[in-house]
Amino acid sequence: MFLVTNGEEMKAFNLVVASLFTASVTCGQTLPGTRTPAEQKIAWAEASIKAHADHSQPYNDLAVAYIARARETADPGYYDRAEDALRTSFGLIPENLEGEKAQIMVLQGRGEFSRAFDLARTFNKKTPDDLLLYGFIADAAVELGEYPEAENAVQWMLDMRPGNVPGLLRGAALRRLYGDIPGALQFFSQAYQQMAPTQTEELAWTLTQMADAQLSVGHVDDAEALLRSALQKFPAYYLAQESLARVQMARRHYSEAAQLLQQRNQSFPTAASRYALARAFEHAGQAGEAETAYREFEATAHGQRDSAMNANRELVAYDLDRGHNPAEALQIARGEIAKRHDIRTLDAYAWALHANGQDREAQKQVSKAIAVGVRDALIFYHAGVIAEGQNDLSSAAHFLKVSLETNPEAETATAARAALDRLTAASAEVRSSK
Amino acid sequence: MTHKILLPVLIFSLFGGALATRAQQDETNGTLRSLQSRVKRYPEDAASFAGLGAAYLQKGRETGDAADFESARSALEKSLDLLSNDPAAAFATTQMAVVCMAEHRFDDALAWAQKALALGSGDPSPWAIAGDALADMGDYTAAADAYSKLEVPFGSEDEKLAFSYQHDTRMSFLRFVSGDTQDAIDLMNSAVRKAISTHMPAENIAWTYYQLGEEFLKAGQVTAAEKADLTALNWYPGYYRGLAGLAKVRVAQANYQDAIALYMKALGVVPYPEYAAALGDVYQKIGDSENAKKQYELVEFIGRLSEINQEIHNRDLALFYADHDVKLDQSLILARKELEVRRDIYTWDVVAWSLYKNGKTQEAASAISLALGQGTRDAQLFFHAGLIYEKAGDSAKARKYLEEGLRINPHFHPLYADIANEALARLTQKTMPATSQEVSSVR
Repeated sequence: MFLVTNGEEMKAFNLVVASLFTASVTCGQTLPGTRTPAEQKIAWAEASIKAHADHSQPYNDLAVAYIARARETADPGYYDRAEDALRTSFGLIPENLEGEKAQIMVLQGRGEFSRAFDLARTFNKKTPDDLLLYGFIADAAVELGEYPEAENAVQWMLDMRPGNVPGLLRGAALRRLYGDIPGALQFFSQAYQQMAPTQTEELAWTLTQMADAQLSVGHVDDAEALLRSALQKFPAYYLAQESLARVQMARRHYSEAAQLLQQRNQSFPTAASRYALARAFEHAGQAGEAETAYREFEATAHGQRDSAMNANRELVAYDLDRGHNPAEALQIARGEIAKRHDIRTLDAYAWALHANGQDREAQKQVSKAIAVGVRDALIFYHAGVIAEGQNDLSSAAHFLKVSLETNPEAETATAARAALDRLTAASAEVRSSK
Repeated sequence: MTHKILLPVLIFSLFGGALATRAQQDETNGTLRSLQSRVKRYPEDAASFAGLGAAYLQKGRETGDAADFESARSALEKSLDLLSNDPAAAFATTQMAVVCMAEHRFDDALAWAQKALALGSGDPSPWAIAGDALADMGDYTAAADAYSKLEVPFGSEDEKLAFSYQHDTRMSFLRFVSGDTQDAIDLMNSAVRKAISTHMPAENIAWTYYQLGEEFLKAGQVTAAEKADLTALNWYPGYYRGLAGLAKVRVAQANYQDAIALYMKALGVVPYPEYAAALGDVYQKIGDSENAKKQYELVEFIGRLSEINQEIHNRDLALFYADHDVKLDQSLILARKELEVRRDIYTWDVVAWSLYKNGKTQEAASAISLALGQGTRDAQLFFHAGLIYEKAGDSAKARKYLEEGLRINPHFHPLYADIANEALARLTQKTMPATSQEVSSVR
C-alpha cells in the first residue's frame, strides 16, 4: 500500500496539497474557551477524574493529555506529570493496557527508544489487534534504525484500518526515509484532510512535517507557505519556527533565521535549537552572539551526553565543524552508534570517522545510510567527500552530483559544487597527462 | 423536519458492523438483550458497551422514545470510561456525537465529532455528524466543507460508495437549502443508486426513497413524490416515514381519507407530534373538528412526555402553537429557546412565524429575511414571508412570495394553501386599478 507512488497519485496529491492552501477554515469551530487541544484534553480528563476518581482510564487520559501538552510546548516537565497520573492509574488497575500505552509514549518523549521498543513489542504480542501499539513499535524502530520492523508495523496499521491518521503519518515518515518525497507528502496530506479542525497542534505539526519534506528537496517556497499556514493554525509553534529558520537558512537569510530561533528559544530551548541558533548567528556574521550561543549549546549538550534525550549528533557536528575536536566527535559517535543505527546516527558516525582519517570505515557506514533509500543532500555530500578521501573519484562525483540534484538549495550546496569542480579539474588533468 | 433527527443515526446503521440497521424492533431488541448480557459477563469490554450504546440509539430511532437516547448515553459513557484515547474509541465517541444530535445538543455533537476525528481512526463518519451539527447551527458553508471529507480516497469500492452515499444525501439537503432544488433531487437520486448498489439494509434504501419523495413534493412534483414514497414502502413495508410521506402526497392529491389512514398508520408506529399535527390539519380540512381537536391535544401530549422530548420538539411545538393560534406567547418562548442552540433557516422561519402571530411584525420581517437568506425555494417559507410582508404593508414583496410559494407547490399544506390563495387574491384586489364608479364616488 505505501511503498511506491505513481504519476496519477502525484496528480491527485498535487490537488490535495493545493486544497491545503486554499481550504477555508470555516469548519474550525473551536471548543469553548481559548484552550489549546492538549489543555482541552487535560480539562476533560480532570473533569472525568472528578466524576470517576476510582477509575483508571481518566488518569490514563490525563497522562496522554500531558504528553500532548509536552509536544505543544516542548516542556519536558509534562512527562513527569504524565508519570504521576500513570502511577495512580496503575495503583487502581496494575498493567492496564491504556496506561501501558501512555507509558510507552512517555518513554518515547524522553528519548528512551530501546525501552519503548521492548515494551511496545511485549504488549503487541499480548494485544495484536491494537493499532497504536504498532505505531509505537514503528516510532521506536525508526529512531533505532530498525527500518524493516518499522515498515512492517506501519503496514499492519494501514492494513488493519485503512486511512487511519496515525498510520498515515508514520507511513509518510517512512516514505520520506525511503526517498519517496511525493509519496510522503501524499500520506501527510491524506492524514491532514482527516484531522479535526480543532486539533490545531496536530494540523500544524503535519504541515511542518510536509514543509520539512519539501525543504529537503529544495522546494523552499512551498515549505515556507506550509509553515506560514502551520503558524496560523498554532501560533508561535516552536517546531514550525525551527523549520522556518531552516527555510531562511536555505535562502541565506541568516539574520532572519537567527531572529526566528531567538523567538523559538524563549521557552524550553533544546540543545539542538541552541545549536541551530549559534549557526545562524555565525552565518549572519554576528560572531559575539554566535560565541555565546555555542557556549550555551556546548554546556547543554555536554550535560545531556549520557542521558537518553541528548544532542549527541549535534555535538558530533559541532566538534567536527567548529570545536576542532575530531577525537571527541568520534568517541561520542561511537557511543551513539552502539545504541542506534538510524540514518542520522550512521551519517554522523561516518563523518566523524572521515574526520579522523578512517575513510574506509566511514564509506561503509555512510553506504548503510544511503542503502535505506533516503534522499538527503547532506548525507550524499558526506558520501561524496568520504569517497574522495578514499580516492574513489567516480563515486565521489556521483554522490556530489546527487546531493546537488536532491537539493540545490542545501547548505552544503556551495561546498558540493566546489568539490565537484575540484574533481572535474583533477580528472581533466589526469586525462590530459595521459 | 425529521431529516435532522434521522441522518446522524443513519451513520451507525451503515458502519455499525453487526449492528447494521434492520428496523424491525424485535431484531433490535434481540441485539440489545444479547449486548446487555455480554456487558454483564465482560464488564471491561469497551467495544460491547459501545455496541450497546449504538443499539439503544437504533431503538430510539425506531420508537421515537427519547429515553432510549439516555440509555445510549450511559452505555457509551461506560465504553469511553474504559477506552477513550485510542482510534478504537472512535466508534463510541462518534456515537456520543449522534446521541447529542438526537437530543438537539448541536454544540456538544460538534465537539464529540471533532473529538472522534482527533482519534484518527481513519473512519471519516464523524465528518458527517460535524456537518450535520454545523448545518443545524446555520453554518452551511462549514457543513459543506465537513461533508466534502466524506469523499474518501481509500478503502474498498463499497466503502467509498457508502461514504459517497452519506455525502450525497447530506449535500442534497444543503443544495435544497441553497435553492438548487434540481441539484438536490439529482444528488438524492444518486444516493438511491448508491444505496441499492451497495446492498444497504432495506430500511436505509427506504429512507433514501422517502427523502427523495420529500424533495419532489417540496418541488411540487406530486407524481414523482408518490412514486418515490411507494417505492420506499415497497422496499420496507410499513415504514412510518414512507407512510407519512405518502400521506402528504395524498393531501396534495386531495385524497383526504387515504391521507388520514396513512397518518394513523404512521402514528401507530412512531408517535411523532408532527404526524399528529398533520393529521389534525387533514381532519380540519374535511370539517371534522372533533377529531382534529383530539390530534392537536395529542401533539402537546407527545411533546411534553419527557424533558428530553421537550428539548427535541421545541421547534415543532412552537410551530404548532403558531399554526393553530394557541399559546402564542409560549410559541415565541419555545422558538427563541430553540434559536439559542439552532440557528438554521427553519428555526428562523419558526421564530418569524411566531413573532408574526404575536403581532411583532417588524421583528418577524427581520427573522423571515434570515430564513430566506440562503435562497431556499420552500413554499412554506414563502407563505410565511408573504403573510408577514402583507401585514408589514409591503404588498409587492408579499405578492411576490405568495405567488412564488404557490407556483413551486400549490398543495404545500392542507389548510395554508387556501389561505395563501386568499391572501394573494386580497393583495391582487388591492393593487387593481379603481373603477370609474369608485373614483367618482363621494363617500
